[in-house]
Amino acid sequence: MDWFNNHLLTFIVFFPLVWGVIGLLIPTTSGSGVRIYKNYVLFGTLLTFLASLVMLDRFETYGEEFQFVESMSWIPRFGIQYLLGLDGVSLWLIILTTFLMPIVILGSFESVEKRQKEFYFLLLLLQTGMLGAFVALDLFLFYVFWELMLIPMYLLVGIWGGKQRIYAAMKFFIYTMVGSLLMLVAIFYLAHQHHLLFGNYSTAILDLYRVHIEGGSWLAPQSLLFLAFALAFAIKVPLFPLHTWLPDAHVQAPTAGSVILAGVLLKLGGYGMIRFAFPLFPEAVAQYQMVFIGLGAIAIVYGAWVAMIQPDMKKLVAYSSVSHMGYVIIGLFSLNAIGVTGSVYQMLNHGISTGGLFLLVGMIYERRHTREISDFGGITKVMPLFAVVFLIVTLSSVALPGTNGFVGEFLILLGTWKASPLFAIIAGTGVIFGAVYMLWMFQRVMFGEITHPQNKELKDLSLREKAVMLPLVIAIFAMGVFPNFFFKKMEPSVERFLSRSISRPIERYDESAYSNLNTKKDVNHGIAQSH
Amino acid sequence: MESLNLIKPELLTLTSEQMTALMPYFWMMAGACLAIIGSVLQSMQPKWVVFVLSIASAFLAMVSTWNTLGHPPILLFNGMMVVDSYTRFGNLLFIASGVLTSLGAFRYLDREKIHLPEFHILVLFAVMGMMLMISSLDLIVLFIAFEIMSLCVYLLVGFRRSDRKGNEASVKYFILGGAASAVMLYGAALLYGATGSLNLSEILQYAVVGNDLSIIFVMGAWLMVVGFLFKVATVPFHMWMPDVYEGAPTPVTGFMTTGLKAAAFATFIRVILSLGYGRGMIESLQAQMHDLIWVIAVVTMLLGNIIALTQKNLKRMLAYSSIAHTGYLMVGLAAGGMGAPDYSSVLVYLVSYAIMNMGAFLTLTLMSGPNDEGLMLNDLSGMSQRRPWISFAMAVFVFSLAGVPPTAGFIGKYLLFYQAVQSGETLLVVIAVLCSAISVYYYLRVLVYMYMKDPQEAVGDQRVSLWSKVAIAFMVVLTLEIGLIPSGWIEAAKAAISHL
Repeated sequence: MDWFNNHLLTFIVFFPLVWGVIGLLIPTTSGSGVRIYKNYVLFGTLLTFLASLVMLDRFETYGEEFQFVESMSWIPRFGIQYLLGLDGVSLWLIILTTFLMPIVILGSFESVEKRQKEFYFLLLLLQTGMLGAFVALDLFLFYVFWELMLIPMYLLVGIWGGKQRIYAAMKFFIYTMVGSLLMLVAIFYLAHQHHLLFGNYSTAILDLYRVHIEGGSWLAPQSLLFLAFALAFAIKVPLFPLHTWLPDAHVQAPTAGSVILAGVLLKLGGYGMIRFAFPLFPEAVAQYQMVFIGLGAIAIVYGAWVAMIQPDMKKLVAYSSVSHMGYVIIGLFSLNAIGVTGSVYQMLNHGISTGGLFLLVGMIYERRHTREISDFGGITKVMPLFAVVFLIVTLSSVALPGTNGFVGEFLILLGTWKASPLFAIIAGTGVIFGAVYMLWMFQRVMFGEITHPQNKELKDLSLREKAVMLPLVIAIFAMGVFPNFFFKKMEPSVERFLSRSISRPIERYDESAYSNLNTKKDVNHGIAQSH
Repeated sequence: MESLNLIKPELLTLTSEQMTALMPYFWMMAGACLAIIGSVLQSMQPKWVVFVLSIASAFLAMVSTWNTLGHPPILLFNGMMVVDSYTRFGNLLFIASGVLTSLGAFRYLDREKIHLPEFHILVLFAVMGMMLMISSLDLIVLFIAFEIMSLCVYLLVGFRRSDRKGNEASVKYFILGGAASAVMLYGAALLYGATGSLNLSEILQYAVVGNDLSIIFVMGAWLMVVGFLFKVATVPFHMWMPDVYEGAPTPVTGFMTTGLKAAAFATFIRVILSLGYGRGMIESLQAQMHDLIWVIAVVTMLLGNIIALTQKNLKRMLAYSSIAHTGYLMVGLAAGGMGAPDYSSVLVYLVSYAIMNMGAFLTLTLMSGPNDEGLMLNDLSGMSQRRPWISFAMAVFVFSLAGVPPTAGFIGKYLLFYQAVQSGETLLVVIAVLCSAISVYYYLRVLVYMYMKDPQEAVGDQRVSLWSKVAIAFMVVLTLEIGLIPSGWIEAAKAAISHL
């Protein structure tokens, strides 16, 4: 118990992997063995979720910048540490991950038929990679987790995916790899600068925050480093025009893969921006702010337009991801508390609503083995409960007030308005287009006469599927009605983020807009002094 | 030359420290000689005698090297050889690669019906040559050691006597290798002519002090470098390599990509350092040499990776990937020419590469059928369902070769490129990582076939010898171990270069 208290993050990160490795010992040759194994895995992810709730409970909103810090020397020669810590932003992303994981696993109980053992093991490995990336405070460690996620995701898409799975898996892997390798060079450069400036080796993020690199122009060293980081994260987000891997990967991936991809993996792009790209290179952020807001706005509108004409439901949802993640980008680059808070919130929302949509599409695909919108129609008549849940998730996705989506998008647009009214207007049209494609899809699938005889036989949600969707529906309303509970925990972290990321030399904004948010707290307070 | 005219008693006797330092060489030599005798015994199966003898002697050599790891450098034979930490580090690597080759080849040779005891003896002698090579401080000793190693490997390459490809590979390698040796020897002669000494440390003194290097020295230095570039197979001296790698028996290919490459590279570093590279060589030559290595690194990485993309035969693909990895190592060499040279990252990379590549080739040995059939990518389809453990091992090696954490390949690349960035070679590193992004495609294609395609009819012998299992499991563990806890290896490499 003592160990658990002192190593809460290590426990949360590595428990899924350890659980998975032990699970490999369960014989799965018989049908009952497989059933036991699946429930075992589900139970393990529930335990992880419980542990993360313990963490939520112990998290002190106005405490140290990073909490539950664990530090251990790893490669002393290069100052590399095993350094974990949690702040208000990563807190929610961790909860999102541990929350989605049991849902995903329960959702895959019947859809995955071949090589089940490997499937669930890879999901658990993936969870360890994702959780680790969210809490790693050492760039080297972060990079290890960041790449570690790639392997299981690649295999999940490539083995259990659809017809074009190999192409999609390859594309996913190579896109991500190119981005992250350039980021790796930037990490080298940064670590080297730290060594030159301070004389000791370190890749701890709080140490690297202190490194100032010459910036101020479009191609100054700082700007290039920023671009290297931003490229890796923008590919992950994915930001237009680097999004082309996403529709392929989403459509080909098995349902579980799509949910995790949309729900968590894409968030790592946004998280990386918050934790690394912005605070490390504030001047470059100011330099490129409008470029990225512009790209984000394009992504919103472009994603929505392309989604509108998709005949395939899953592809539609995939393009809606491009659009929704565009909001995250413009919110972050608006560089004010409202926009950034909205962005973080939008990341959580998107995880829940898009994850839910993928699950629902997966459920109907299991019944009909098609995802073409034109193959459906009048589904409300045979699957009333399904239709209701679908409606709720759809409305959350189009940001209806009262659902979580509204809060996030509203805040982002508000924040963006302060930075650039023009782009806020453009992004605002995305909300309308979003409603158009989602509701139109809903109408074509759910309403009207049943034109295909096969659809008359469809069964409504089973108990298992109800259990899968219920937590998501609850989360949608809870986050829509009580956003303050979430905001409060992340507020100090967002303030610290802004105080680091807003470059002082270039005064572009009304200082008063956020000055009242900047508390007098010492931003370098925290683990920087503890070692 | 005066030393030849009068007999110095200290040259005829060895102190006890010198004896201790020589023990590994003694064990290898004794093992090889005994194995020759054992191979003609009629009463027992010679392959077992020779196999056991070679493993035992290699084991003893390793132990005796291990025991002297912390010792100060010891000069031997009037400064012609040195046993320092660099030598010991290299020796361990070479012996290990020799042992693994013998282990992995055992069943393979049975299957190909060429299990002649000479195989193990040749491996022993080749390792012996490598050990001498890395410890030589004298150009003549260096050349002799080089030839001991090369001749053994020529024979090993052609070990499948009845195979046309094997014969072609052997002859090609022999002729081109002979030419390279000649170039190198000519370089050595010119260096001697310019400096009046064959001793590396004296050559270094000449190169550093002599402000005005003679044209003869410059030519000699270039020829030496070219000879080594041929051995490590950088572009444009790489033409022999894919054919040789493909034609050689698979375990021998593994041996060549690990032991031989490591030996050639490690010695290359010693020699190029003694020419003053990165150590106060006259500036114009230093700049030229650095630029040349820079360009060669880029071309080697690009060409190796791009051609590997088009390969359908796994062995050939790994051959081209081996060229690409040589390119990464050249990045380390280019970085060594700038600022304070620190080759520890190159050593770590050599070790990581040796481990993962040896593992990959041992696994290939198991996958292949008679006459090295079944090494086309297509033959791997659905391998993960037929042979899950072998596929898993291959997956680990492939991820490691691609440089994905948490594997040895990632640590190797991380250190190597970090070092290069520290030396100011950022552009070169950017090119290098983009090249390694290219490599991801062909490495992962192996996984695509093994894991994502539907199973096919099995090709080849499905039985796996215990030796191979042990060797491969060992490699998998090491690959992950270096990836997760690299600190010990880094410190060892740092210690190894401290006497360089």
